Amino acid sequence: MNSTLPIEKNKNKQNESRIKKRVTRIIIYTLLSLFALINVYPIVWMAINSFKSEQEFTVNQFGFPSKFNFENYANAWEIANLGVLFKNSIFICVTATVVTVIIGALASYFLARFHFKLNKVIYTFFIFGLLIPIHATLVPMFILMKNLGLLNTEITLLFPYIAFHLPITIFILTSFMRAFPKDIEESAIMDGAGIFRIFWSIILPMSRPAVATVIILNFIYNWNEFSFALVLINDPELQTLPLGLANFAGQFTTNYGAQMAGLTMSLVPIVIFYLFLEKEIVNGMTSGAVKG
Amino acid sequence: MQLTHKSKAAIMIGLLPAFLIYAVFAIYPILQSFYYSLMEWDGFTDMTFVGLDNFRNLFEDPLFWNSVKNNIYVVLASVLGQIPLALFFALLLNRKIKGLKFFRTVGFLPVVLSTVVISLTWSLIYNSQNGMLNEILRNIGLGVMAQNWLGDTKWVMAAVLVTVIWQFIGLYLIIFLAALQNVPTEVLEAAKMDGASEWTTTFKITIPMIWHTIIVAVILCISGSLKTFDLIYVMTNGGPAHSSDVMALYMFNETFNKLQYGYGSAVSVFIFFFSLILIFIVTKLFGRKLI
Repeated sequence: MNSTLPIEKNKNKQNESRIKKRVTRIIIYTLLSLFALINVYPIVWMAINSFKSEQEFTVNQFGFPSKFNFENYANAWEIANLGVLFKNSIFICVTATVVTVIIGALASYFLARFHFKLNKVIYTFFIFGLLIPIHATLVPMFILMKNLGLLNTEITLLFPYIAFHLPITIFILTSFMRAFPKDIEESAIMDGAGIFRIFWSIILPMSRPAVATVIILNFIYNWNEFSFALVLINDPELQTLPLGLANFAGQFTTNYGAQMAGLTMSLVPIVIFYLFLEKEIVNGMTSGAVKG
Repeated sequence: MQLTHKSKAAIMIGLLPAFLIYAVFAIYPILQSFYYSLMEWDGFTDMTFVGLDNFRNLFEDPLFWNSVKNNIYVVLASVLGQIPLALFFALLLNRKIKGLKFFRTVGFLPVVLSTVVISLTWSLIYNSQNGMLNEILRNIGLGVMAQNWLGDTKWVMAAVLVTVIWQFIGLYLIIFLAALQNVPTEVLEAAKMDGASEWTTTFKITIPMIWHTIIVAVILCISGSLKTFDLIYVMTNGGPAHSSDVMALYMFNETFNKLQYGYGSAVSVFIFFFSLILIFIVTKLFGRKLI
């Protein structure tokens, strides 16, 4: 039965390949949509259910709420002390990030732009920090802070947060600053600018992209950090958001609505931050990860 | 450089703040833990020197080896789960897909969220009564498969590992996608002209060309998954009956619940060397520089 003409055969073949292409497309989009769904649905599910009463949640957890119920939010805000948690998290996060980036940038400037005997040793010493498994330091950190009388204070968490994020900060900034041409400082020196003046008004502004990366990295790491907070802080008035939420959920295991409301509220700022600065955050975190 | 000579003092001043904080709060604790690991100490009364007894007890504790085993599961699940899935979706996304930006945004989202929030959300999903997972199973007529996911020694590790994998696929997805976009299209087109099928170009050209990135991702994945602590602490605290313990959790509970600071320090020392040695082996194996 081989009576079809060659041209028609060709057409059939073309048709076939077009259909095949379309089927592949459909499969690809289905798989990608599934991936997207699995990625966001847990969060969306929680956000939607945070508006349902306990009763409605048990009978209808996949639909939209019949009416938006803000009681869970009021409960969560009050019981979990979210106002205090937000305030503490913002303070710790901003302070630690600012200090880390400033002293890290200053150190990077000298490591990247100056020749001195111990340069390489000090640089390696800092970079070694990238290899330290943070959890191996929880116990000695607790003992150290206890000996220094620094357990449970407003500034307790600043010390480990700054110390452990200096390595990645210095790594990124140093490799960026090393790439500048050598004669940059020379003309500045001719003009009589001092060493710190050159840092502040030439090198630092030139490093803006790398500085943005490390600010974002530090901010997200600090905002999400949990284990040091768990070990070093137990005063409810000093807890950060992750610690407070974990404790809250631990105590109110059966109040799903309030838990979901609390979690949703804690997600809002970081999700907004992410949607606005997506490109910078993604670049920062991937370069932080690859380089770390 | 001209500045070098007159700048010794400036260099000192510039490096001092970072050096001091880093040395005192990151390096010193590790050195201290070597010292404490040789002591018996409850944190209040005087320390007594016990030599290597802590390490001997540690190596004789089956619960400790159980936590090591679970740690290895976490590493394996991460490497064998995150990397292939991320690569698979990156390859799909690399085919001139409409909505690429949307999928990237959604794909990376979990990476940005705090581990605590992720753990609590997934605890709600796994909840034995009203959890989403059991509810879905019931709705599709598989109610018999509903489990107490986090409360059953048989299921708890599997449940935790799914969350671990979910959390970080996006990171590797983006890393792979960036690498894929650097593969020159001429090469792929030339192969196509020669009649190579898509499977062939993918496995013979694309993947070999980003092999270096895949290795970096594997190393990242191993060192990252050794750090697992928050997630399991919040989801199960190592339970039920230690079935989801990992090393850091074992250390935490032995130290702070039983007030054994010497013993806990010994576990710290072990984790420190275990991580360093494992990363060292992996980097040597794949021929990459350590730092």
